[in-house]
Amino acid sequence: MIKSQYIISILLFFPLLLIQTTIVPLLAIDTVIPDLIIILLVYYSITQGQIYGSLLGFTYGFLFDIITGSLLGSAMIAKTMAGFTAGYFSSENKQDQNLVSYNFALIVLLSSLIDSTINAFFSSINFNSNIFLLFFQYALLPAIYTAALALMGMIFYPKRKMF
Amino acid sequence: MIRFFVSVWENFKEYIVLVVLLIVSLILLSQNSSQGIQKVRSIAFGTFATVTSVFTDVFNISNLKNENENLRRTNAEMMLHLSRLREYAIVNEDLKGLLALKDSSTFPLISATIVSKSLTKSQGTITLNAGNNQSVKVGMPVITDKGMVGIIYSTADNYSIARTLTNVDLKVTVKSERTRENAVLKWNGEWLVMINVPKTFDLKKGDRIVTSEISSIIPFPLPVGLVYEIGNVEKGIFNEVKVQPFVDFQKTENVFILGIVKSKEIDDIEFNLLNRQ
Repeated sequence: MIKSQYIISILLFFPLLLIQTTIVPLLAIDTVIPDLIIILLVYYSITQGQIYGSLLGFTYGFLFDIITGSLLGSAMIAKTMAGFTAGYFSSENKQDQNLVSYNFALIVLLSSLIDSTINAFFSSINFNSNIFLLFFQYALLPAIYTAALALMGMIFYPKRKMF
Repeated sequence: MIRFFVSVWENFKEYIVLVVLLIVSLILLSQNSSQGIQKVRSIAFGTFATVTSVFTDVFNISNLKNENENLRRTNAEMMLHLSRLREYAIVNEDLKGLLALKDSSTFPLISATIVSKSLTKSQGTITLNAGNNQSVKVGMPVITDKGMVGIIYSTADNYSIARTLTNVDLKVTVKSERTRENAVLKWNGEWLVMINVPKTFDLKKGDRIVTSEISSIIPFPLPVGLVYEIGNVEKGIFNEVKVQPFVDFQKTENVFILGIVKSKEIDDIEFNLLNRQ
């Protein structure tokens, strides 16, 4: 019997992708945009565990690649790794702490950083220029923006499980 | 033996799952151009774009006022240009008649609205609400009144995906309108750059860059941008020229698809040429 949690986590992806591809580009700060999907992925990875986080990241990546026309496999690898990383913080005794404290934003930052870095790698960018500058622009800035958004979401978090 | 595997699974199941998922991803990575994947992709983004287009329509209503004002201003400017161009056209027609040239300026334009954007730093793509049913084909250029936006990459019945110029996988042959010198234009993740430009080329800041006729994708010169900076002057034998695009990819909402695929025509001609030999 498939838990309803699992189905909800997949279904939530679609409205989020809708927002990601229509509204989020309007929030771009000099082409740096946050990744809402990572926030959802981190939430489920913390609440459901590392294996589920990896599987969900894989599924989100597949759907993202297929729907947006990106290189199929690139977001799959990036989001699988991001889900796996976020799953490290899913231990039962610290789960609530990680969801309601600023830890959540830090986990989002870490996962988003991994996601953006892997995506940048697959984008075959010219790495002849300053690699630290590229890392800053391609990975760190989007990750910080995503984490900041997660932090804002934390303010409205109802201090109990939403789904 | 079974106990050993059970023990390994119990101890390393997270890592085993991760490795399996990564292997599957890598396999799919190598299958990007396969027919099956293209078909699944076409159905998936076609379905999703149907929903997105409704959402975008509602969202765009709020922008219509600003857009109308801009369009009125553009119309006024265009009217001034038009009256001048009419004069030129009359002279041009006379000259063409004398030279017995065929006027080939009528290209079919398919209007489309951007229903979603995936403007990552390196892989800019846009989904358009025109597809196979509107005769959109892979390889057709996407333009606005300002200039070139990108190239159609994948099509479904009523929707299509285009790679914008801000996509590292799209490379276009361009030329300087003033000096007529050709170079390859690509997105380096930060700037549109003309790469491997010989230092003997007489490019200057502010030069207008258009697509080149020798491009296998674009049928005739489309405006791309202005030369912004000529880099790498001191070392090497080539320059790297930064180009400021005419089109603001973030703000563009409505586009035209140029209903012609040049490479198809060239392929046909070259194929016929080979057959004759």
